[in-house]
Amino acid sequence: MADGVLSPGVNLEAFSQAISAIQALRSSVTRVFDCLKDGMRNKETLEGREKGFVAAFQESLHSVSRDLGELERLSNLVGKPSENHPLHNSGLLSLDPVQDKTPLYSQLLQAYKWSNKLQYHAGLASGLLNQQSLKRSANQMGVSAKRRPKAQPTTLVLPPQYVDDVINRIDRMFPEMSIQLSRPNGTSAMLLVTLGKVLKVIVVMRSLFIDRTIVKGYNENVYTEDGKLDIWSKSNYQVFQKVTDHATTALLHYQLPQMPDVVVRSFMTWLRSYIKLFQAPCQRCGKFLQDGLPPTWRDFRTLEAFHDTCRQ
Amino acid sequence: NVSQVPVAEGKSVQQTVELLTRKLEVLGAEKQGTFCVDCETYHTAAATIGTQGQTGKLMYVMHNSEYPLSCFALFESGPCLIADANFDILMVKLKGFFQNAKANKIETRGTRYQYCDFLVKVGTVTMGPSARGISVEVEYCPCVIANDCWSLLMEFMQSFMGSHAPGLPSVFGTKHDSIYSPSDTMVQYMELFNKIRKQQQVPVAGMR
Repeated sequence: MADGVLSPGVNLEAFSQAISAIQALRSSVTRVFDCLKDGMRNKETLEGREKGFVAAFQESLHSVSRDLGELERLSNLVGKPSENHPLHNSGLLSLDPVQDKTPLYSQLLQAYKWSNKLQYHAGLASGLLNQQSLKRSANQMGVSAKRRPKAQPTTLVLPPQYVDDVINRIDRMFPEMSIQLSRPNGTSAMLLVTLGKVLKVIVVMRSLFIDRTIVKGYNENVYTEDGKLDIWSKSNYQVFQKVTDHATTALLHYQLPQMPDVVVRSFMTWLRSYIKLFQAPCQRCGKFLQDGLPPTWRDFRTLEAFHDTCRQ
Repeated sequence: NVSQVPVAEGKSVQQTVELLTRKLEVLGAEKQGTFCVDCETYHTAAATIGTQGQTGKLMYVMHNSEYPLSCFALFESGPCLIADANFDILMVKLKGFFQNAKANKIETRGTRYQYCDFLVKVGTVTMGPSARGISVEVEYCPCVIANDCWSLLMEFMQSFMGSHAPGLPSVFGTKHDSIYSPSDTMVQYMELFNKIRKQQQVPVAGMR
């Protein structure tokens, strides 16, 4: 190790000479300041005093510059300490002769290896997660935090006309589902989705992002007393409270910030599978009821019906 | 949403009701007070039969505690009229056309249970002073299309009635996928009451 640190170019002789040159330089500098501090000594005449002072000052400055020159000459001889050690100056720790008492160097190497590995694995993980960008959480990991706010405004300020078009297209896609769009509070749209004669869903949108959904029974009132959509109260029936919970889960599942219209469409496709809420038995246990509730869960990919406790 | 279940057991009516309610309570159903459905029979008066050449029809006037402000008037196979509760007073005025067959008054009283979104009403059917049978009404409130949730209802009824769970009520067959209404419940009660009245003439073994 020592060889690596003190490369052959280093002249030990010059090294010791340089150290003594530094000492000489320091003493001569000290003498300059001593001379300045003492000022003009008592001499017979004023002229003599000045002359003596200037001569002494000049001489000490000369010796400083001489010593400095000497140091510079020696420093060239010493040569530069090698910089090609992979750990730079921390490599010098390996010179510590008492390894047993201060195992700093080996610890340092281990920490270095560990952090290297961590970085490698984190890189792999972020690559994998980015491929499945349907999920909101995955996107947050992949895209740096700084980039997100920049990307959002573009999809947040879609013209209302575009939102209307997307909703209209979805409305036409599913005959058993009717969608009523209204804008009671400015530009944000609210949808009242009626699915067959099974249920009604209130969907609160922000541009094309779905902010909130509430599922209620077909025969339940979805309006407040003053005739507005009631977006706060929940259903009186346990089934629809459960379905509301699942719909909120679905909102978090279907996320694709670059293509908000796809998100809305996949959510509606998923929602449509509730047309058989009371008719489909659980795909796992084969029964209709569990704790008095029908299968309220619909798989996100296959749209199969499951009881809440029967899905995995 | 609703189906009526006549239960004639080997035991007394009282015992069977107790057995049923105990099973419901074990399931986790909560007691929610009582209920009552009554039915009065009216004959069309002789005067109208002759002039219009019709055979005598029976009309039933029913009340259901679930709809305290309403009164239901039904013909055996015909339309169902839903009126305000003071319809009874009108019937008194129409004495000339409809005559009340007082002896035929029949009613069912019992306890109302709730289990999740199910409403279960177990009642004892009485005609005059004697208990004639048991009625069980099961309603699944969230669903408005009766046929949609029939298999689900069936599974629930089997869970506490076992093999006595009924077949598909005839009202369901004609309804297809229209919305269930209170009058459908009343039609089912009417059919049940008629069945129980007939049992009176041919006493079933075990009916005490």
